[in-house]
Amino acid sequence: MDDRTIIERCLKGEKEAFGFLVERYQAQAVGHSLAILANREDARDATQEAFVDAFQALKKFDLARRFYPWFYVLLRHRCYKLIAKKHEAQNIEDAEIIAPQAGVSGEERLALEKALLSLSREDREIITLKYLDGFSYDEIAELLEIPRGTVMSRLFYARKQLHAKLTGKFH
Amino acid sequence: MKDMNCEDILIQKSALLDGEKAELSDEQINAHLAECEACRRQIEQMENTIVLLKRQKRGEQDADLWSAIEKQIGAQSEAVSPLKWQPFAALGVFLVIYKLLEMLPERDPGWALKIVPFILVAVLFGFLKENPFKINSELILEK
Repeated sequence: MDDRTIIERCLKGEKEAFGFLVERYQAQAVGHSLAILANREDARDATQEAFVDAFQALKKFDLARRFYPWFYVLLRHRCYKLIAKKHEAQNIEDAEIIAPQAGVSGEERLALEKALLSLSREDREIITLKYLDGFSYDEIAELLEIPRGTVMSRLFYARKQLHAKLTGKFH
Repeated sequence: MKDMNCEDILIQKSALLDGEKAELSDEQINAHLAECEACRRQIEQMENTIVLLKRQKRGEQDADLWSAIEKQIGAQSEAVSPLKWQPFAALGVFLVIYKLLEMLPERDPGWALKIVPFILVAVLFGFLKENPFKINSELILEK
């Protein structure tokens, strides 16, 4: 069942149909909020709240659009709302943004993970959207609601920051 | 070409390294790079970072949020029942009748009767269990 059909069913009052959308996107959404919040528990909370927001705002959803980019805007909003609410320093030790995989040493992965976590949230977000998810500049522009040219320059500066953090490790 | 900002060139070149379209032509970028060693060094560093990043994948996150979301949605839809139009229409009719009665010549309703509209409005909001002065802190600004 495609997203559009699910949303149409939700709009007809079939609340349970929304469960299909949650099942489909929850892992991806938690991964994305984790990249912003760097805390697993917070990432799950923000994702849950964002899905509730999405359900309540479904009437405003343009059926010609794709669901996830629209949802991502709500998800970011929830993440930054949580950051604003929590003034204390975030625990970033339990974040595992990068997956362990064959062909990549644990040392390399951990060093990169550490470097990513030391970046600003915005830099970490755009870097992970580009390289861990493989989104194009146009797709990132849609997700972050910024022009393509801004994606290009923000990625450049974020990568420069990342390189500075990694210098002497793998180059 | 020498006057072209190195940073602009690097930003454009980084888009090409990402497999994206740049806003400058290859000739413009290459002409600058042929003359600028500092930019060439930076591009080499950029390529190394990109290669390193492209080897990685996002960690898969376990999540089973539906049951909690379903409860939350259910609780909210019970708590927030949409305002019905009928009580407002009834109030409107009462107020119009009241105004017509008030306008009848040689009739001077006492002060007790003058406060009837206020009582009606208060009764309506009491009936709907709504506070008309409540500020909703959850309001989201729309673009």
